[in-house]
Amino acid sequence: MSWAPSRRVLLASTMTVPMAGRRAAAQAWPSQSIRIVVPFAPGGTTDLVARLVAAGLQERLGASVVVDNRAGAGATLGSEVVARSAPDGYTLVMSNIASHAISPAVYGTRVRYNPVTDFAHAALVVTNPTVWVANPNSGIKTLADAVAKARSPSGLDVATSGAGSSNHLMVVRMGQLAGKEMNHIPFRGAGPAMQAVIAGQVAMMSDSLPSAASHIRQGSVVAVGMASAERHPSFPDVPTFREQGFDLASDSWFGLSFPAGTPAGIVDRLNRETRAFLGSPEIRSRFAELGGTPGDLTPDGYTEFVRREVALWAPLVQASGATAD
Amino acid sequence: MDLITNLGHGFGVALTLTNIMFCLIGCLIGTAIGVLPGIGPVATISLLLPITFGQPATTAIIMLAGIYYGAQYGGSTTAILLNLPGEVSSVVTTLEGYKMARNGRAGAALTVAALGSFFAGTVATVVVAASGPMLTQVALSFGPADYFSLMFLGLIISAVLAQGSVIKSIGMVAFGVSLGMVGTDVQTGQQRFTFGIPELSDGVGFVSMAMGMFGIAEIVLNLERPESRNVMSGKVGKLMMTRAEFRRAVPSVLRGTLVGTMLGILPGGGASLSSFGSYMMERKLSKYRHEFGSGAIEGVAGPESANNAASQTSFIPLLTLGIPANAVMALMVGALIIQGIQPGPRMVEAQPDLFWGLIASMWVGNLMLLVINLPMVGMWVKLLSVPYRYMYPSIMIFCAIGVYSLQNNVFDVYQTVFFGIFGYLCSKLRLEGAPMLIGFVLGPMMEEHLRRAMLLSRGDAMVFIERPISATMLAIAAIALIAMLMPNIRKGKDTALQEGG
Amino acid sequence: MKLNTKDLLSAGVLIGVAAVGLWLNTDHTMGSARRMGPGYMPWLSFAVMMGLGFLVALAGLFNGPDPISKWTSSEIVFLIGGAIGGVAAGMAAAQVPGWPSAGWNSLGIGIFVGCLIPSIVPSWRPLFLVSAAFALFGLVLEHLGLMAAIALAVALSSLADKTHTPKGVVGLVVFLCVLCWAVFIYELDIRVPVWPQF
Repeated sequence: MSWAPSRRVLLASTMTVPMAGRRAAAQAWPSQSIRIVVPFAPGGTTDLVARLVAAGLQERLGASVVVDNRAGAGATLGSEVVARSAPDGYTLVMSNIASHAISPAVYGTRVRYNPVTDFAHAALVVTNPTVWVANPNSGIKTLADAVAKARSPSGLDVATSGAGSSNHLMVVRMGQLAGKEMNHIPFRGAGPAMQAVIAGQVAMMSDSLPSAASHIRQGSVVAVGMASAERHPSFPDVPTFREQGFDLASDSWFGLSFPAGTPAGIVDRLNRETRAFLGSPEIRSRFAELGGTPGDLTPDGYTEFVRREVALWAPLVQASGATAD
Repeated sequence: MDLITNLGHGFGVALTLTNIMFCLIGCLIGTAIGVLPGIGPVATISLLLPITFGQPATTAIIMLAGIYYGAQYGGSTTAILLNLPGEVSSVVTTLEGYKMARNGRAGAALTVAALGSFFAGTVATVVVAASGPMLTQVALSFGPADYFSLMFLGLIISAVLAQGSVIKSIGMVAFGVSLGMVGTDVQTGQQRFTFGIPELSDGVGFVSMAMGMFGIAEIVLNLERPESRNVMSGKVGKLMMTRAEFRRAVPSVLRGTLVGTMLGILPGGGASLSSFGSYMMERKLSKYRHEFGSGAIEGVAGPESANNAASQTSFIPLLTLGIPANAVMALMVGALIIQGIQPGPRMVEAQPDLFWGLIASMWVGNLMLLVINLPMVGMWVKLLSVPYRYMYPSIMIFCAIGVYSLQNNVFDVYQTVFFGIFGYLCSKLRLEGAPMLIGFVLGPMMEEHLRRAMLLSRGDAMVFIERPISATMLAIAAIALIAMLMPNIRKGKDTALQEGG
Repeated sequence: MKLNTKDLLSAGVLIGVAAVGLWLNTDHTMGSARRMGPGYMPWLSFAVMMGLGFLVALAGLFNGPDPISKWTSSEIVFLIGGAIGGVAAGMAAAQVPGWPSAGWNSLGIGIFVGCLIPSIVPSWRPLFLVSAAFALFGLVLEHLGLMAAIALAVALSSLADKTHTPKGVVGLVVFLCVLCWAVFIYELDIRVPVWPQF
């Protein structure tokens, strides 16, 4: 069994996890296993990428890196766990657009951490463009078609992976730009939403590129617009929203963040290793296949990035009416 | 002819030594986690995912699929032996399976579960191979209105699970639906009935609820009646099925396979409806329906077959559309994408090895599970002869660890305590847990589809009657409701008296 | 008498829960037929539940008798005592800084105390000692580790059955510790502290 050795590593890590939060950061970091808290249930894109990154970091740092799923409350539960952990460099959270930009606005005072100041943001891992796709028989080929449909008496149905997601907020924002509210149809996850679009029950969908990529390639849906600053290298034919006259560019993202107060040396080291790992040609091609772009920011750059995202999404959340109370 | 050539090719892929070994490993791990209460295939698969990065895609997916079926097989074992259901389908298995175990027929129940599952798996695999792409159209033709009506039908017939009063049981279904409303509203993101507890924002935990209401409550009841548990550990009974039991199980297995194969195609709830759809059918159609509630083998054979058939055919949307039907399959899609493979309609041509290898390995996996599980029946049954004073703390600890490991959160452990006490109260008042759990699972799905259907129809409720699929389901539901209430109003008194005695 | 006490109490449970649910649901908007609000479906299910509760109550007036077993006065007193004690302990723990109020510990303490008090009465022991043991497991798991949690929970729950011997309990604890370590830690690699943390 070729995977036996890696299990020994996992085993060793389990024994050391209890001590992780207690010991002061030793001189030679890492001297014990590192835990990456993923604030989502196993199986999502974030979880998947976290495991990929964990495997890469484990090799580079020479210490075991384990993934710990703490899902719940719009990804805020897991993030809170990390915000309150000891800043010794052995606990990280997979910070993301939900936990660190949207949910704090949605959940308000129930989120007991500050997404910017309670963390030492270490590295941006990936950004995923948002893409709008349409059923091939819907007649919608461009955003102008979509807006025309929205203004028609029947209106335009747009599916998303859920209320309060960045995709939902995109629909709200697009409605504002088009001057006509779109009929938002939330689903429980991207899979069922995509199925409804393929089946023609819903005309359009606002989705993140990784989950839509394969369906676009297979032609089961048509990509109408890419909501990012530039066209995506894997989908050069899909024009951006800006090219089509709608000033909207927003990517979903996730990265790695320590609790605030973690020694700068550790944060920098993790940043270097993560960027080196993400920069390898193999990973770049895997991410390109997935539809994402590997992140390449310094810790300061990532912190500034999170700060900007928080400022960007809060008013949109207010406008969408998606609050938890 | 093509089919046979393709399947032959598939077996060529699946039957390499490496793939057989990984299939076996997957099945063994799957069985183990299935047997352990609370530990689900999703957590395990995501744990093993990094290991598969280094393997060829076919091998990786064969192993993950093995875990998935293995967990299905293993889950029925604990449901039958210990009254511990880890998922919706096992809730149905506890109804007759645990009764059979109490009657000393645990061996027969486990055997029929394994044999029925194997048969159903074989049939469903052939269906997937022969007509997968065609059946995809069925899945796509189901709109929100049709799903709503299907769920509604499911809720109505779930009252059939009642061992006693139908009204009380529908009341418990409504209770379950209400409990299902706890958490974040899918349509608006609003928090409902969470009392500001973040842990409740994803709803009440199904496993906590099932463990508490079935597992913990059963421990307490057994401790209160020392005489009944001695009866149980005293008679293990004959291991194998008798000829009569076998004959009774055959038609149930056939019906269960049919129901499961059809419902499994529908993502979003089809598979969870399959086992109790079959239970309902057996209860109405079986010649031995009077034995239901006291350990009828049909009530294990049908649902177990249906469940396994559904878990095979639920691969169809994944293989032909690239859309995962449940969380386990979402993980498999992830594993494939990491390998650079896009699941979907082009997979048959682009990756014939993977496509046909996976289908062949479904059957190989089922065969392997049969080979693994049949000899273990004897061992499992022997577990029942362990004195109960050692059994119950062990069950308790396994439940506690399993529940904790769901989210690594002790809140789930406390939730289980709450449902344990509630389950005890319910059993004292003859309020049944099974209809409640079914309502809990189907209710939120029903709400989601109802609201989505109304959003899409711009508020026109006629959509439920205009669509033929939906109209048919609603008509069946209406007939079932009338048929159920009519005789029970008459019989109500008699059954109540029988229960009292 | 034809009163069916069990059905009447069941009806009470259904009606009571439904009433509370309907009251809580007043926070949520019902919405329109096109865009149903978050309050619509809960309203429907609670209303159906309440209606069925009344039907059960109505039937319960005639299809008896089906009495529940009589409770002794000590059973009632200690049950109420447990409820009060549990709530008080939980609320008190929430005020104490440090471990007792961290995370869900105050809830665990409340459940634990609330279950221990009625288990003074022998007839309540199976229910409340098992529940208390379960709560105790959750309470100590993250601080003292899996091994201690198993030992304490098994020891406490063993009091619920008279046939246990001290030797048997120790043997069971050792067996379960080894088994759980092998299965959950070694094989399945569950993320849980194994030993006490300092």
